[in-house]
Amino acid sequence: MRGVSFAAETGSVLGLLGPNGAGKTTIMKVLTGYHFPSSGTAIVDGVDVSEDPIAVKRRVGYLPESVPLYQDLTVAEYLDFAADARALEGPGRKAAIDRAVSACGLSGVYRKRVEELSKGYKQRLGLAQAILHDPPILILDEPTTGLDPNQIIEIRELIRSLGQSKTVILSTHILQEVEAICSSVIILNEGRVAAQGSPAEIGETLKGEERIRLRVKSAQAEVDRQLLSGIAGLRSVASIESEGSGVWTAEISMPPAAAGSLEAGEAVFDWAVSRGLKLLELERRRLSLEEIFVKLTQEGEGR
Amino acid sequence: MKNVLAIAKREIRSSFNSPVAYAVILGFLVFTGVYLYFIRGFYAVGQADLRAYFGLMPVVLAFLVPALTMRSWAEERRLGTYELLLTLPFSETELVIGKFLSSFALAALAIALTLPVPLMASLLGSFDTGILFTQYLGVLLEAATAVAIGEWISSLAKNQVSAFIGSVLVLLALVLVDRVSSFLGSGGIVAALLNWLSLSFHFDSFSRGVVDSRDLAYYLSAQAFFLYLSGWSLMRRKWS
Repeated sequence: MRGVSFAAETGSVLGLLGPNGAGKTTIMKVLTGYHFPSSGTAIVDGVDVSEDPIAVKRRVGYLPESVPLYQDLTVAEYLDFAADARALEGPGRKAAIDRAVSACGLSGVYRKRVEELSKGYKQRLGLAQAILHDPPILILDEPTTGLDPNQIIEIRELIRSLGQSKTVILSTHILQEVEAICSSVIILNEGRVAAQGSPAEIGETLKGEERIRLRVKSAQAEVDRQLLSGIAGLRSVASIESEGSGVWTAEISMPPAAAGSLEAGEAVFDWAVSRGLKLLELERRRLSLEEIFVKLTQEGEGR
Repeated sequence: MKNVLAIAKREIRSSFNSPVAYAVILGFLVFTGVYLYFIRGFYAVGQADLRAYFGLMPVVLAFLVPALTMRSWAEERRLGTYELLLTLPFSETELVIGKFLSSFALAALAIALTLPVPLMASLLGSFDTGILFTQYLGVLLEAATAVAIGEWISSLAKNQVSAFIGSVLVLLALVLVDRVSSFLGSGGIVAALLNWLSLSFHFDSFSRGVVDSRDLAYYLSAQAFFLYLSGWSLMRRKWS
């Protein structure tokens, strides 16, 4: 990690977004006291992690990426251990276990052994462990991996409601997840912050353009940047290639579709008609997450 | 203390939920029983003397204890629960002691289950319970030291198998090192040092029914030393 600095407030859900190896997990391991930072400080709820790790660990609920479960215990025994570890006693102990079990929908498998559970249930058990002691800070490393779509919606709903009274920091590589539950986002790439802000702000950056790949056949004129610049609203031309016999392939970027303006495809079609070109293929290309990250980091370096 | 018990309780539950602990303890009992009755010809000798039986214990424990401790840290790392343990509000000391206690409890259970052997022997003739008590104290101290070593090696090992093999080798070396000194002849400083290091050398007086404070000090300081090393290996991982 290099020069990553951020703050997360109570009552917010902070998303760490990035490809594998970007440093999301490392940040979480430092915040939970699993790793000591080689330089810099992590302060959780006013306590420095390297000075009083136990105090920090008491305030944090953590779901690591490799959902840590004891395979040979039952769900009940596992939560019993978590309750012991959290020093939950008396009537509050049973209430806490019941609350976590019902919040994560585990009552049906309460007596089952962990090794018999499906991946989705294992994930939920890991989450139940993290929220058991009602911590003010929740750190969740990819909390929705391995869940089916219905479970994802349930867990996101749960995280969103937890985020109203707690500080939640979660990591993900799913863009929609960030849009669905996070109030602020940090995009990481190769250990650096590539972008930081609310999902709306980040979304603007991410969805700032549409990529279109087109193949046209031209009877006379050569298809070049000059010709392509006739497309209404064109932002830039990424590539032009000739396939021979008057067929050309180009990749262009267009502004995102907005109300009142032409859709990108329409603009290209109109342009082709007006220049007497034959449109062979027209394909909207989605920017992959990787391309977005590459773009963001390159922009970051240019700044 | 509550944290230590929470860790130990979880560990023992896991052990008894899987067949491994039962199999290891049963294997231990069968082997020591067979050794006594068939190989040593206990009834044929016609003496109610269990010195040979206890004399074998350091070697047997060098196999039993690694089978109990190999899972300890190595398995936690494989399951990813290592990260859970280290992010729960436990101190490194509590983790090390909790793990030590749970493995020691299993070893002590296995040892306690051998009690029918001296009880049956006592039917054959008069029996010195004082010596028997000392012998069991010696076995428990020996086992606790082996557990501390096994836990430490498990904290370094990549997986259970290498933890087992590594612990068996280290324990056997410590048990048998005093045999080397007998080749060197007594009196030399090297021989004295090797004897001092040897687990079975210190066990010897216990098996004869003698409690020597030097042997007690050896066992207790060896346990403390290897528990400290385990804690150190946990701390070291935080920086890597």
